Amino acid sequence: MIGLEARRAGEPELVERSPRNEFRGPWTLFEKEVRRFLRVPGQTIVSPVITTVLYLVVFGYALGGRGREVNGIPYLSFIVPGLVMLGVISNSFLNTSSSMFIMKLQETVVDLLVSPLRYGEIVAAMVAAASVRALVVGLLTWAVAIVAQGEVLLAHVGYAIAFPVLTSVGLSALGLFVGIWAEKFEHVNLVPTFVITPLTFLGGVFYDVGQLPGVFATLSHFNPVLYLVEGFRYGLLGTSAIEPAFSLAGLVVFDAGLVLLCMAVLRSGWKLRS
Amino acid sequence: MPDRAPVVRIEGLTKRYGPLVALDSVSLDIQAGEIFALLGPNGAGKTTLIGCVSGLAIPTAGSATVLGWDTRKDYRKTRQVVGLVPQEINFDPFFTVEETLRFQAGYFGVKLEEAKLVEILEALDLGRKRKAGARELSGGMKRRLLIGKALVHDPKVLFLDEPTAGVDVELRRDLWAYVRRLRERGTTIVLTTHYLEEAQELADRVGMIDKGRLLLVEEKDRLLSRLGHKTLRLTLREPIAELPRALADVGAALSEGGGVIEITRPVEAELGSALALAVDVGLVVRDIDTRRSDLEEIYVQLLAKGGE
Repeated sequence: MIGLEARRAGEPELVERSPRNEFRGPWTLFEKEVRRFLRVPGQTIVSPVITTVLYLVVFGYALGGRGREVNGIPYLSFIVPGLVMLGVISNSFLNTSSSMFIMKLQETVVDLLVSPLRYGEIVAAMVAAASVRALVVGLLTWAVAIVAQGEVLLAHVGYAIAFPVLTSVGLSALGLFVGIWAEKFEHVNLVPTFVITPLTFLGGVFYDVGQLPGVFATLSHFNPVLYLVEGFRYGLLGTSAIEPAFSLAGLVVFDAGLVLLCMAVLRSGWKLRS
Repeated sequence: MPDRAPVVRIEGLTKRYGPLVALDSVSLDIQAGEIFALLGPNGAGKTTLIGCVSGLAIPTAGSATVLGWDTRKDYRKTRQVVGLVPQEINFDPFFTVEETLRFQAGYFGVKLEEAKLVEILEALDLGRKRKAGARELSGGMKRRLLIGKALVHDPKVLFLDEPTAGVDVELRRDLWAYVRRLRERGTTIVLTTHYLEEAQELADRVGMIDKGRLLLVEEKDRLLSRLGHKTLRLTLREPIAELPRALADVGAALSEGGGVIEITRPVEAELGSALALAVDVGLVVRDIDTRRSDLEEIYVQLLAKGGE
């Protein structure tokens, strides 16, 4: 029998409160999410790195990139920041969107919904795990690029870390939101196919937007991915078409907005609780 | 039991899905240490009721408390003490049985100790599948894994939504034995089932729900004695054409071509006098058989009457 009276006399503590127990919940979810993508490394790590490296080979070498320069920078080095960000953007989004959607499909999302995890803890754990995957893909791509370039280009360490990390946070949160919203696989693929990929390819990964004809250069400035690519380019190469501090501030606002949106959606139970 | 505060208190709980009323102002107290069976046809509102307490559904109106905490305002506290075995089997094919249980415990802030893990695995006969992927388990094993997941944080209240659906008879009996052991250790258990035998076997109290309305809540034994009946069947050596008047006056009836006399009475009534009457009027009784009505008959009868 439960000692109800004894417990009601004071504040009942059912799980001993300690910093370790306090963080065990979100840490467990983070660990589970990381192990999940590590169970299929060929699909989650190796394949994206190979794809990005192929871009490097095709654009940097095969299509006459060798010997070509953009604003005095070898073309191969010029496209590296964009390719790293391409991997970061797509993998952070894909990890959270597919994980949440599959949890819904398998109904294992029930395990989270009946748990005492705070809404913010769920968002933090899932976003952090997706960021780990995205940053591992980004780092491996960068490592391959270093070998191809034959030198380490790292102009501003702070920006070089801040842009990929904050980008992965924002895109992971966007992926989580889409995963919650999606009712079929097609929904999960809508954003990468129709938003992320076009914006990334038109976001100055392979060319300098300043060299585009007037109207296209102007239009490019409405593309948020441009600010991420240029910001990271500043971190690696020390040159950017856009003031990096401005981009970073915008990125922080974007991240905060999406994290808060995910928390609000989880709190409301939208698409998850009946 | 009645002098203690209820472990779960549900007050005026209503859940609407558009025009559909899934729960219609349901009020119910679950007492500490009892096994409460919620019975009702498909779509009656059983799962919705459990969902509203465990956090899977958001009530439209009314409230539910667990150990005095509101399930919405104090959700972290109530979920810490509630375990749920959902009706639908779910599993993550990426992980083994052990990982699944460890992760589930972790979500509740609990480190699953080896002894506890072994206890759960053994109790649910999953010891040999500890390192097996969830995908490799049979349907019954997956359902047992669900029960294991609901127990990793030592819940004070365990909700079992159709726990033995699709489970073979032998395993069902093992699970019943395990549910009883949990109750003996102080866990309060609320189960929904469409196996009325299950409710009859396990429950201390039963609640009957239909179309979102709680029709009745009563102790099982009292319900069986109040609404149940027993039947005395006398098989005669020689069939008779007409029932002797003395037996007809006490409500007996002839059946099976005059070869059997049946007398049906409330559970607490005595039937010896009816047997004596048959002997007194000169009938030769070849065999005697008695049968008690079960929960299923009462359930069908109550649903037909809308709970009255």
